[in-house]
Amino acid sequence: MPEAAFLEQVTQRLKEACPEVSVAEPSPIKGVVNFKVTRADTWALVFKTLKEELGFEFLDFLTAVDWKGPVGAQGFIQDPNPNPFLPEGATPSVTPEPPTPGFPYREKIELVAAVSNWNKWTRVVVRLELPREAAKAPTLINLWKTADWQEREAYDLLGVVFEGHPNLKKILTPDFIAGHPLRKDYVHVKDQYD
Amino acid sequence: MTEIRSQDLGERIRENQQEKFSDSLKPATRNPQPATSLKTDQMFVNLGPQHPSTHGVLRLALTLDGEVIIRAEPDVGYLHRGTEKLSEVRGYHHCVVMTDRWDYVSAMPNNLVFCLASEKLLNLQVPERAEYLRVIMCELNRLASHLLFFGTYGIDIGAFTPFLHAFREREMVLDLFEMVCGARMTFNYIRIGGVAQDLPQSWIEKCKEFLGYFKFRLKEYDDLLSFNPIFMDRTKNVGLITPRQAVDWGLSGPNIRGSGVPYDVRKTDPYSVYGKLDFEVCVGESGSCWDRYYVRMREMAQSVRLVEHCLNALPSGDIVAKGVAKMPKPMPGEAYAHVEGSRGDLGIYLVSDGSFSPYRMHVRAPSYINLAILQEALVGLKVSDMIAVLGSIDIVLGEVDR
Repeated sequence: MPEAAFLEQVTQRLKEACPEVSVAEPSPIKGVVNFKVTRADTWALVFKTLKEELGFEFLDFLTAVDWKGPVGAQGFIQDPNPNPFLPEGATPSVTPEPPTPGFPYREKIELVAAVSNWNKWTRVVVRLELPREAAKAPTLINLWKTADWQEREAYDLLGVVFEGHPNLKKILTPDFIAGHPLRKDYVHVKDQYD
Repeated sequence: MTEIRSQDLGERIRENQQEKFSDSLKPATRNPQPATSLKTDQMFVNLGPQHPSTHGVLRLALTLDGEVIIRAEPDVGYLHRGTEKLSEVRGYHHCVVMTDRWDYVSAMPNNLVFCLASEKLLNLQVPERAEYLRVIMCELNRLASHLLFFGTYGIDIGAFTPFLHAFREREMVLDLFEMVCGARMTFNYIRIGGVAQDLPQSWIEKCKEFLGYFKFRLKEYDDLLSFNPIFMDRTKNVGLITPRQAVDWGLSGPNIRGSGVPYDVRKTDPYSVYGKLDFEVCVGESGSCWDRYYVRMREMAQSVRLVEHCLNALPSGDIVAKGVAKMPKPMPGEAYAHVEGSRGDLGIYLVSDGSFSPYRMHVRAPSYINLAILQEALVGLKVSDMIAVLGSIDIVLGEVDR
């Protein structure tokens, strides 16, 4: 299979460029090769190698995952019992899922980005774990301009700071929202619309 | 005495107010300039968020030098409902309902992409009849979506009549959807493991009747708008996007194909039964507004072809996979699925931690990513061309803000 041979070549070249890159086994996303980057300062270099030497020219998506695990509902809740069919004062129907035993929850935020090579029709995913408290990574805006808004979204919703981004500010949430809503421990503060 | 005094006071207040009012009308006094010189300052213009041609709640902050745009910054988020966060406390079946609300103009591909991702997590095999029904609905929805684009783009440029023609045909597609699932825009028709209902009686005949009628309308649209000299003057060679720019900004769908890049998920990463179906990928030449427009017009013919093919090849059998739980609980893992929605490469990245609801859902929304290019594409254009470019990118704000 030519694709397997090409992926082998990609893995080798990436390991030459940055030795600490490893292939995640078993692959978190089925059917796609996942590369794990361990140091934030090589994040941009990995993509530079992928784009300029290996022909991965299209940035499919760039996002982040907060691995903290489910946290009980906190902060201001307008209607604790939103189900109109339950009697008054009944237990709220929207309760957070209990954490799954055995799942590796950790105090990390993981950046996940996928890039495509259109000559070989191959997609690879690159991942980087960052500490939750100081989630910082170099920006990819010099490689792809589409990283501009995707990084701003990840900053707004998950609080990942992309160093070197020229215009890193909130994009989706309104200005009065403090915090990053897609973090698992986000607390909603009562605002003018509540 | 008292009367006079109050009159005095009133007059004084009125005078005072007038002074203030006229003051505010005279920027020249605050910013003194000789009366003979022309004002050559840069001007800041807010387009939207209630401007009719922004197709929703989009605000464009423009800086103008005379007629020329020197800086454009789209401001989005007015319709942000946080569906990614909401999905974290809802079951997988409940999330399908929310997907309808992203791109409400073409909701079927939204349903489909979430179901594809969930099925990857749940290891479900969808019956073939359901796959064909999904393709039929997605392609009909592409017709409805491109018809809306055709109508509103005409209005943006100043032609009102095409809108009436487009909506006449779009109404027929929506009637077909209403027969199938009872809804006209937010369908919730494609479900995890299959589809919600089988086709009602005589639906196939009605659909074939519509397709036979619609084929000849495409020629009419070309006469009406596509090759209208005024329309072509307004859109040809306007808002040029080079292939390099298009890839760099991550464009997808008709926008990247308008620049001549044949990127179509249906061909490059076939999902559902698209691998078995025969259709062409339509590409434009120069990446102008007109190319992006005409790619959509030609895609409609391909959609008709696909629906006809599927109707003829529609197998009998089940419409839902066996063993779909009422509250699905996938094993811990991740999945990425993407489809060619009406606006481009619509992707879902889904993470499960083994509970009843997704641990994390990320939407690769094509409208959101396509819209970012306005920062570059609008610079250097005249204000009057700005609406033509914005319309040709074809965004839906529900999907931009999610």
